[in-house]
Amino acid sequence: MRLSALLALASKVTLPPHYRHGMSRPGTMAAKRRNPPGSRRPPVLVEPISDEDWHLFCGDRVEILEGKDAGKQGKVVQVIRERNWVVLEGLNTHHRYIGRTADFRGTMIPSEAPLLHHQVKLVDPVDRKPTEVEWRFTEAGERVRVSTRSGRIIPKPEFPRADGIVPETWIDGPKDTSVEDALERTYVPRLKTLEEEVMEAMGIQETRRHKKVYWY
Amino acid sequence: MAAARFGVLCRRVSAAVKTAGSFLSPQGSAGTGFSLILLPKNIPSVTSLPQCRIIHTTLSRKGLEEFFDDPKNWGEEKVKSGAAWTCQQLRNKSNEDLHKLWYVLLKERNMLLTLEQEAKRQILPMPSPERLEKVIESMDALDKVVQEREDALRLLQTGQEKPRPGAWRKDIFGRIIWHKFKQWAIPWHLNKRYNRKRFFAMPYVDQFDRLRLEKHARIQIRKRNLEKKKAKLLQEKFPHLSEAQKSSLA
Repeated sequence: MRLSALLALASKVTLPPHYRHGMSRPGTMAAKRRNPPGSRRPPVLVEPISDEDWHLFCGDRVEILEGKDAGKQGKVVQVIRERNWVVLEGLNTHHRYIGRTADFRGTMIPSEAPLLHHQVKLVDPVDRKPTEVEWRFTEAGERVRVSTRSGRIIPKPEFPRADGIVPETWIDGPKDTSVEDALERTYVPRLKTLEEEVMEAMGIQETRRHKKVYWY
Repeated sequence: MAAARFGVLCRRVSAAVKTAGSFLSPQGSAGTGFSLILLPKNIPSVTSLPQCRIIHTTLSRKGLEEFFDDPKNWGEEKVKSGAAWTCQQLRNKSNEDLHKLWYVLLKERNMLLTLEQEAKRQILPMPSPERLEKVIESMDALDKVVQEREDALRLLQTGQEKPRPGAWRKDIFGRIIWHKFKQWAIPWHLNKRYNRKRFFAMPYVDQFDRLRLEKHARIQIRKRNLEKKKAKLLQEKFPHLSEAQKSSLA
């Protein structure tokens, strides 16, 4: 186990201190281009928001409060927690060229700029107006976002998974365990170690006596 | 072919035993039996002579095929795979099931590592590398669950928190370290190698101990000052932070 733990530590990604997170994920070519090793930029101050207090998720309907597209409503497509950023679909865009070569100017595409969490507000589904949101507990004990103005619960939105799997249309492969088999409880707590239980099950009898060893 | 190899081994073993017989020397006129003067250490142990049995230890006879994926998946760009086993799902399984699952996961991991290495060799992308991450995660979760069960049993039966015995001792550099005990065949007062290890520090080490303490203190103070500075910067930039903290504490 120690060798695998060592390899795991080696493969774990370590970013330099004050790494400036951009729109690209660290590790991609674009991010490496923007933050080459040895680059030390002044650090950006990011308001520390705990995971419990964060209220914006992918797929939410939000309204922009300030900026070029102030007043417009859009869907959140990406959340970058390291910078408290939210990227809306098709809003707050600037234009840039993509696929540029030596002789071709490239195709112009609108690319969305990120917005900070306080520049957008969640939209209340009742009256479709921006509203402040609080985290509260339901009768069942579930933690949900509640709009402070109307008191309506804003449910967590559906958003397609990054790996493209749709849980409703999933068919198990030959190496997958079925849901019933995975959730089946076969554990009976007994005062025996795993080794003893497995030896019992396989009918192995250990007749050798352990020689006396000294521990120091 | 395996039989022929075993036959060769058996022939070598029997030859070695015959040469060992030559080391047996007759006692003399008074002695009735033989006494063994020297036994060469390179004789392999043998279960039975002259027959040698071929023993299979695995139940399946598939062999090296298990290092490779299902032939249908060869050459595919993507291979579908389900989610990893979670700790909670594994806690519901019996020890025999966990034992079997460990080896299934191990074989899958070996297959995926072989695939990864072969993809690196051929300078091609590995199809669906997330499978390997899921298998590693499942195996780590399984190990964690087994460790939890062992810890619980040990705490109930002996009250010992750690599986491996140890002690806090001062090493030769004056540092207090957790010395993990090793298993030895002889007691400590007869062990030459162990007695060469010194679990005490001479007086000339005190100065360096003081310097180490000072260094540690300086690092702690620097960390505390940095946190204070950062908190001040954040307070300037986000004035509402302190009110939010006060309201959350109240």
